[in-house]
Amino acid sequence: MSTTWIVATEAPRVDAQDKVRGAARYVDDLEFPGMLHCKVVTSAFAHAEVLAIDTSEAAVSPGVFAVMTAKDVQGENQIGVTLPDQPLLVETRARMMADRLALVAADTPENAALAAAKVRVRYRELAVVTDPDQALEPGATALHEQGNLIARKQVVKGELEKGWAAAKHIVEATYAVGYQEHAYLENNGVVAVPEGDGGVTVYASAQCPFYIQKAVARVLGKDLAAVRVIQATTGGAFGGKEDYPSEPAACAAILAVKTGRPVKLVYSRTEDMLWSSKRHPMVVRHKLGVDEGGHLTACEVKLTCDAGAYIGLSSVVAERATATALGPYRVEHVRVDTRIAYTNNLFGGAYRGFGAPQVTFAMEAQLDEAAARLGLSPAEIRRRNLLTVGDSTATSQVLPESVGALATLEQALTRSGFEAKRAQWAQFNAKSPHLKKGIGLACCMYGCCLHAGGQWLEGSGALVHVRLDGSVNVAIGGTEIGQGAFTAMAQLCAEELGCALSAIRLSPVNTELVPDSGPTVASRTTIMSGNAVLDAARQLRARLVEVAAVKLGVSPKKVRGQDGEFFAEEGSLKRASFKEVAKAAYERKANLTAEGWYAPPRKEWNDALGVGEAYAVYCFATQVAEVSVDLRSGRVTVEHVTAAHDVGRAINPATLTGQIEGGVVQGMGYAVMEDLKVEGGRCQNPNFTDYLIPSAVDAPLIDSILIEEPYSRGPYGAKGVGEPALIPTAAAIANAVSFATGHRFTRLPLTPERLLNELEDNAR
Amino acid sequence: MSHEELTLQINGTTRTGLFPRGIRLLDALRRLGYTGTKEGCGEGECGACTVLLAGRPVNSCVVFAKQASGKPIVTVEGIGTAHPDGLHPFQKAMVDSAGVQCGFCTPGIVVTGSHHLDSGGSTSEAELKAALSGNLCRCTGYSKVLQAMRDAAARKQVRAGGKR
Repeated sequence: MSTTWIVATEAPRVDAQDKVRGAARYVDDLEFPGMLHCKVVTSAFAHAEVLAIDTSEAAVSPGVFAVMTAKDVQGENQIGVTLPDQPLLVETRARMMADRLALVAADTPENAALAAAKVRVRYRELAVVTDPDQALEPGATALHEQGNLIARKQVVKGELEKGWAAAKHIVEATYAVGYQEHAYLENNGVVAVPEGDGGVTVYASAQCPFYIQKAVARVLGKDLAAVRVIQATTGGAFGGKEDYPSEPAACAAILAVKTGRPVKLVYSRTEDMLWSSKRHPMVVRHKLGVDEGGHLTACEVKLTCDAGAYIGLSSVVAERATATALGPYRVEHVRVDTRIAYTNNLFGGAYRGFGAPQVTFAMEAQLDEAAARLGLSPAEIRRRNLLTVGDSTATSQVLPESVGALATLEQALTRSGFEAKRAQWAQFNAKSPHLKKGIGLACCMYGCCLHAGGQWLEGSGALVHVRLDGSVNVAIGGTEIGQGAFTAMAQLCAEELGCALSAIRLSPVNTELVPDSGPTVASRTTIMSGNAVLDAARQLRARLVEVAAVKLGVSPKKVRGQDGEFFAEEGSLKRASFKEVAKAAYERKANLTAEGWYAPPRKEWNDALGVGEAYAVYCFATQVAEVSVDLRSGRVTVEHVTAAHDVGRAINPATLTGQIEGGVVQGMGYAVMEDLKVEGGRCQNPNFTDYLIPSAVDAPLIDSILIEEPYSRGPYGAKGVGEPALIPTAAAIANAVSFATGHRFTRLPLTPERLLNELEDNAR
Repeated sequence: MSHEELTLQINGTTRTGLFPRGIRLLDALRRLGYTGTKEGCGEGECGACTVLLAGRPVNSCVVFAKQASGKPIVTVEGIGTAHPDGLHPFQKAMVDSAGVQCGFCTPGIVVTGSHHLDSGGSTSEAELKAALSGNLCRCTGYSKVLQAMRDAAARKQVRAGGKR
């Protein structure tokens, strides 16, 4: 690994000062002269024919400037991000509770709410479709013209029959997981400002400004060039602000253009929980073969994914669930068959892990069951099957480098004392009637950057200006959503340019500053935006070094830069400050602005068979969870999690472990606490009083371990970490609970009610 | 909608404004420009709107502005004013220990955490966790926030010559 001076250090976050002072500006903190406030009217039923929408009373309510329904949309009344199946405003048929019927803009939030309550809607209620498997049966009520099957995704490798024939044991079970709510602390929000030139500027809490740009242009019937999107400081996202913010942005934008005034739309917590997308419920039918030596021989996975009423990103989520359903294991004979169904339930979408936590839960439970049949430790069965360099994945992709799976396993086992604790706790549990202790293990594999199916979106840009006083502006197309992207970019830029970290300012992401850089998703920002920043910084460095070389009286090749100074390589004491070099370069009319770009090589992919290079590179992780279970209350306490992650290279170990810790606690919530209750398409607990997320008291102690298996195309070898942090957690906890109780749980979350009910049923 | 005039003492300054009757303290503060105070849930569960009212942390989303009239209010903008660089030791520790991610819960955590330390609250692990239990954070998993609490407490102890 190359030596670095600021990369791989725990540099303080570039945005921390503003945030601890309360000075960072989030969407709801933005005010514009004459700004109006929007309120959205949604369907009263999960499935209904809309007979009439009467806005006459609302239109004359105090302070109202506009009321809009489907017929008033200036451009195309369509918001679907992957397929045109979702109207922005529903005209005749509501397919989910979140379907919008009308929008109100008024002078104050109070007046907007008052007017929205005066919109009268007549419905004819229709029967709801809530079970995704039933939705796909012949004769089920079709929610869209083409039926309820949105898409199928497959992986085909080898011949299953051969694999079953080679197996000593075949483990077969069905797993089911429910919704998870992102619960970012800042609800969705946007402000749309009409500009004098007929364009519109949208400020948004968002991951993907370029998605918003496309969506807003479409509903307004305007060119992309007429829509500028600027990211406001964003209070958490986790996938929930990938495609979804395009919806409120489109609402505010059509009202802004209609009224000629800025329009703000900020959701309440309940609105956000009712309307925004969720982690998909999935049913995973899993069959796994293992031979006498503990080697996996075959694996068949049948997945049903509940998309809700519109496709959104469901096919893309399913694509990832399908491609990585087997986790980081070698299996010769594979079949994965995924069906994505329309229902009248909540809107399924992107959520940290993107389909992987669901399938990982199933696979890791199956491995423990297979190990038990063979009398092997859970660690040993994984050790015998984990992928290494040169192995082929389920999609027949041969891994050429950067495969740290085994290293994560061994480190996690050693640091957690896994085998010793298993032995001790089995003895403890034998003597303890009510309090049980458990330890469980799970591994994961996560493809960094976009799936081959979305590679056309993959290029990313950056713009770097060196100012004549030596200060530096950096703009990227990836967003800062709390993960620390801006700090990593500043470190990469400073490393390359040789300026001080404090000289760098990151610009708010703005679609006018950088090329369309695709979405901030798939743990891709460090690689994609990072490489784009390096590209720009290297161009500028070459221009500055020429000037520095003259000042230092050496050849440009010998010039090094670090922390605001240039110097000659061999022990010379002569220095030239970054500032004076920047000024001299400016006066020599050097171009001190550079645009950077990174686009990865093309990935070969056969979509019909699910064969090929699904992802550019993979992250690997192993997590060990330690729990205690009180059999009287049913309460699971997650005491400790050891999380070993192969990250390629840690650009900033402090922000990186922050990602791991946050991911683990979200995964812990998914495993034992977070239970979004949906009945007949209606969410029963859309608030923080009834939907519980972990507090400081619930969170386990976390021991993060960084494994660095560098990726040759990553900036300084880096891969990603945002999503792998969460993916194995619930699986490891579920395995720990099964060890503690001696009962295999096949559903999540493991709330006290579920735990007690299942154990009671089991005892009968 | 009828309005009421309210006088609030915010961060040592007296501010008067005309507000819709029944306005929440959270909204009154934000309308007066103290936008560091955030709304996360609107029902007193998440703590993003925490301010000090008469020296005690409250969720300003479940307090009427009128109830706060005449009592000193401290928002996140006022927490560090008396300290060097305008940062309370806990704010500084939050920066240094990477306790900040998206930052939306941070103002509430800053108010709660600095109050706990300033009022001589215990720094045992259990007490620190209990002190923070009314402030939800979805990004950090709380590890580095708790570390910041311990670091700030340790710095305070060093300055006080080891005395409590």
